[in-house]
Amino acid sequence: DIVKKQLVLPEGTDVTGASKFTDLGADSLDTVEIVMGLEEAFKISVDESSAQSIATVEDAAELIDKIVSNAK
Amino acid sequence: MAAAPTRAEALSLFRSLLRTARQFSDYNIREYARRRAADAFRENRALGDAVAAAAVFADGKKQLEVAKRQAVVYSLYAPKAKSIMEMKLQ
Repeated sequence: DIVKKQLVLPEGTDVTGASKFTDLGADSLDTVEIVMGLEEAFKISVDESSAQSIATVEDAAELIDKIVSNAK
Repeated sequence: MAAAPTRAEALSLFRSLLRTARQFSDYNIREYARRRAADAFRENRALGDAVAAAAVFADGKKQLEVAKRQAVVYSLYAPKAKSIMEMKLQ
């Protein structure tokens, strides 16, 4: 949902775990904003190098899982 | 003469600006700062000339420092009332 909102995707667009941000029309600036949005939603902080390596929704989900589990 | 920023450096500056924008307690200022940063970066994303890119990047850094200072000042005088945009719907 965060990804869809950021990219202003038309309703009904499929966003699966394997979707590449670039395939959805995102450029590097969009990806930065998506990661920032995810940070706010999950109340986490993503360090610079991790954020730069995110390319798919799945990448983002895995990173969030890792960070959240580390915080517990 | 400053070298043109790498892609990673530019993205890093963008992230820093978004983080700082988030710190403003006032809704209007926060949203403006965020939008302004995004618009400015998109405006310049195709900039290929090294000298121009370095100049724009340096300006961006200055703006980041300004925003950081202002975020602190604003927090000292934050109004008690929340913007209606931030209130949860009943």
